[in-house]
Amino acid sequence: MDMNRRSFIKSLALNSALTAAASLFPGVTFGNILKQDLPAGSIAWKKAPCRFCGTGCGLLIGVSENRAVAVKGDPSSSVNKGLCCVKGYHSVQILYGKDRVTKALVKKNNVFVETPIQEALDLIAEKMRSTITAHGKDAVAVYGSGQWSITEGYTASKWFKGCIGTNNVEANARLCMSSAVTGFMTSFGIDEPMGCYEDIDHADVFITWGNNMAEMHPVLFSRMLANRKSKPHVKIIDFATRTTRSSEASDQSILFKPQTDLAVANAICYEIIHNKWVNWDFVNKHVSFHKGKTNIGYGTEDHFAFQDQAETVDFKAYQKFLEDYTPEKVEKISGVTARDIKYMAALYGNPDLKVTSFWCMGMNQHTRGTWINNLVYNIHLLTGKISTPGNSPFSLTGQPSACGTVREVGTLTHALPHGVVTNPKDREMASEIWQVPVENIPAKPTYHTVEMFRALDRGDIRFMWIQVTNPMVTMPNLKRYRDGALKEGRFIVVSEIYPTPTYDVADVVLPSALWIEREGFFGNSERRTQHFEQIVPPPGDAMCITWQMIEVARRMGFEKQFPWPREKYIESLWNEYTRFHDDPRHRMAPYQELKKRPGVQWPFVNGKETRWRFNPQYDPAAKQEGFDFYGNEDHKAWIWIRPYEPAAESPDSEYPFWLNTGRVLEHWHTGSMTRRVPILHQAMPNSYVEIHPDDAIHLGVVNGGKVKIISRRGSIVMTVSINGRGMPPRGMVFVPFFDENYLINEVTLDAFCPISKQPDYKKCAVRLERV
Amino acid sequence: MMKENNQHPHSIDQAGPGRLFLVFAGLCAVALPLIVLSAFSNEPESRTGAIIQTPDQTPKHAVDHQAQSLFAAFSQTTTAYMDGSSSDRTLNEYYSRRQYAGSPPFIPHALTARDEKGCLTCHAKGGWAKEFKRYTPVTPHPEKAACRQCHVKPLTEELFVETGWQTVAPPLLGRSHLPGGPPPIPHALQMRENCIACHLGPGAVTPIRVEHPMRGNCRQCHVPETVSTLFKRSTEASESANIQ
Repeated sequence: MDMNRRSFIKSLALNSALTAAASLFPGVTFGNILKQDLPAGSIAWKKAPCRFCGTGCGLLIGVSENRAVAVKGDPSSSVNKGLCCVKGYHSVQILYGKDRVTKALVKKNNVFVETPIQEALDLIAEKMRSTITAHGKDAVAVYGSGQWSITEGYTASKWFKGCIGTNNVEANARLCMSSAVTGFMTSFGIDEPMGCYEDIDHADVFITWGNNMAEMHPVLFSRMLANRKSKPHVKIIDFATRTTRSSEASDQSILFKPQTDLAVANAICYEIIHNKWVNWDFVNKHVSFHKGKTNIGYGTEDHFAFQDQAETVDFKAYQKFLEDYTPEKVEKISGVTARDIKYMAALYGNPDLKVTSFWCMGMNQHTRGTWINNLVYNIHLLTGKISTPGNSPFSLTGQPSACGTVREVGTLTHALPHGVVTNPKDREMASEIWQVPVENIPAKPTYHTVEMFRALDRGDIRFMWIQVTNPMVTMPNLKRYRDGALKEGRFIVVSEIYPTPTYDVADVVLPSALWIEREGFFGNSERRTQHFEQIVPPPGDAMCITWQMIEVARRMGFEKQFPWPREKYIESLWNEYTRFHDDPRHRMAPYQELKKRPGVQWPFVNGKETRWRFNPQYDPAAKQEGFDFYGNEDHKAWIWIRPYEPAAESPDSEYPFWLNTGRVLEHWHTGSMTRRVPILHQAMPNSYVEIHPDDAIHLGVVNGGKVKIISRRGSIVMTVSINGRGMPPRGMVFVPFFDENYLINEVTLDAFCPISKQPDYKKCAVRLERV
Repeated sequence: MMKENNQHPHSIDQAGPGRLFLVFAGLCAVALPLIVLSAFSNEPESRTGAIIQTPDQTPKHAVDHQAQSLFAAFSQTTTAYMDGSSSDRTLNEYYSRRQYAGSPPFIPHALTARDEKGCLTCHAKGGWAKEFKRYTPVTPHPEKAACRQCHVKPLTEELFVETGWQTVAPPLLGRSHLPGGPPPIPHALQMRENCIACHLGPGAVTPIRVEHPMRGNCRQCHVPETVSTLFKRSTEASESANIQ
């Protein structure tokens, strides 16, 4: 405090004009701003990526007296060029909720007791050891997050897979973008978008697939609007199941019935071929045709297993398959007029227009998520609109490091930082870098996320460490998994920053450093790695989660694998991790480079970022003339035959409504951070259920009234919103999932895409009762 | 220079450049604010049009904090609007809508139009808003069309949990370095390049409304104060200068 006082006086002395200033506005209280005793000129500005979505905006954090006090968009970040959204501008307020967890808590007789953190870490190590002795290695698990800093995911993977010897490593990104991953892997053989945000400045047409960007990726949406403003011919087509802010801002809003995007995408391809808009030069050189299994199921039963099998076919077989998808036939399935289908096909098919497609959860949280990803790639591949500025099938992510940590580090049961556990060469590489015996790393994946929580319920998993995520709000068919976590003989450790429903089920809570309270790295949707230094100190005993794991790993005898001192461990982990990607297809920027810049895109080769992959003009790993889809052994991109198959559960006479869930501008994920930001909570205090006005009349409910939403799994009473933020079509209701007081996931269904294992939060059947 | 809060909001004592409009300004000086308001409401004055750059006007080079937006605003704003003033917008109100100086303010009024463009029909050009019986504040960045990406409407005053948020005091007024000298710009210019939007006209917050609106090149005298430290020679700096 003495230091603070001295520097305060010092800064006043520098500008004597300020000393008398307080008297200049008598009676001014500056509303709800709690003043620090400091002049504005004392702010220092430090760079960091935004804490929230996968856009990865560059921020400048204003720091004064070891507190974050303000935010500016970083003008030198090519992502956002100085603009943020309302969450970003108020992001620093997430650090200062009064109920911040600052001490380790151990549950004794169902009550949390404050415990010295070293004691809590001892207890965790002891529990892990005894669980492994009693139930085997596969009885302990770590469940992490796309908000993990890269070193956190990397430490979890090295420790669990390399040291302990279990593939029980999963992350919430399974619920958020694993269909995007399997889409990339099946179409291109290598993960993550080929394009970059600069595509937005070049495109003539934007088609958003089930993607309300105005609320979910606002900064990128603004960039689209700016492009359209400067070039009046630019069009934005909102292709969605519900009318939103994005629909209102678009040139054309086209609504389709849930799940029928599969049929429409095929119909667009039918039209492109039928009208001879195929880019044959591209297709002949760079595309091969394939077919997978059909009637692949929905994974609602325990131990569900599925393995797709690719069969190579020719163009004729593909063309014949598409005959079932004429615009007229698809109009009947999808509710999209043949005219609108032809319109979209004409935009994609016009060789003079550069087209960018955007999607996020609408296509990924889909029981045929892998398929719909494949099908949109099909459109771009038939027309050759890919890997060039403005021509871009672009899969957006929802979390700040879903790409950087989960996808690139591979914190999923089947993956390793390079490759997959089933590949002996990849296991050897990991064992060499990690300095563990290769036999340590099991060759067989264990549980994907939904199955991991089922295993916890069954008792196959006994110990779970949950980090940087809130599964007791986000798991579909939630009640089963919450009851499972609370069963006798389960031990749950939660690394947390605030009390949440997941904190409630914990046996031990570890106070954790949040965002800029420790050094870290995020990786955004466009392959951009962003470093941030520790900008403010964490409160109380709060500790970086990487260090929490290192402490426990050392207690379990893995000092050799985690030898670094506390001043250097983040840099050391980065240097070790990037050895996995020392290849022109995936090379990461060195630590010093990342410290200097507001993000660097990989592959980073010879000091240069790669903006468009697979295109030799931009990508040094691409060797073939024209394009080189080097992820696949045939160096071609794969077009897939993927049919329309219905949703796992569709409305019927008993449950006549679709239930669609999603997000709102103000809140990010489960709101555990954003609800502690005054203005974000005040602008969006509660969740609600959107109902079409005609359905509301039919039910006899008015705006602000209550309805009970009932599915086969659970029910919930919610406030009705009519003509509010969005409007579902007749026969659908929409509920934002951020509100822990209204756990809509007790109503949703845990069906998932059999290929990606990602659940579908957008479609199940419910009925409504007026309350 | 900026007005101070304890001065009469319509004093013309220092309004040198306002002489051209002496009759009008004189009226303002003697009239009670209420009369001024009713005068404006009888003859609503707004800028000639929204200062939104059309594609042709888009600066080729965004130089000097996009200075072109300031000059465009200046040439498109009527002189009557520039001299207009009202006393009903206070700094207290201004900061009560922000979480820290420079954060996007929330929307304080009811919203009816769902169309995003609705915001700009009033906030791009300012003028008397019959609906709210006061003058409309003008946005300094009308080229950004997705207003509600950053500006949200509170539905409650309650909090989810209490916050320990603190920030630095907002910039102080009257910071001239010499008596009578032009005060430096105390805030970042990013997204607030167009000084005119907030610092003149009847929608402006009274204590920060300039009294010499006819001088269009604001940053000729008012310079951004980006650091609070004084110049200090460093051996490193002089060495690198020598190398260059």
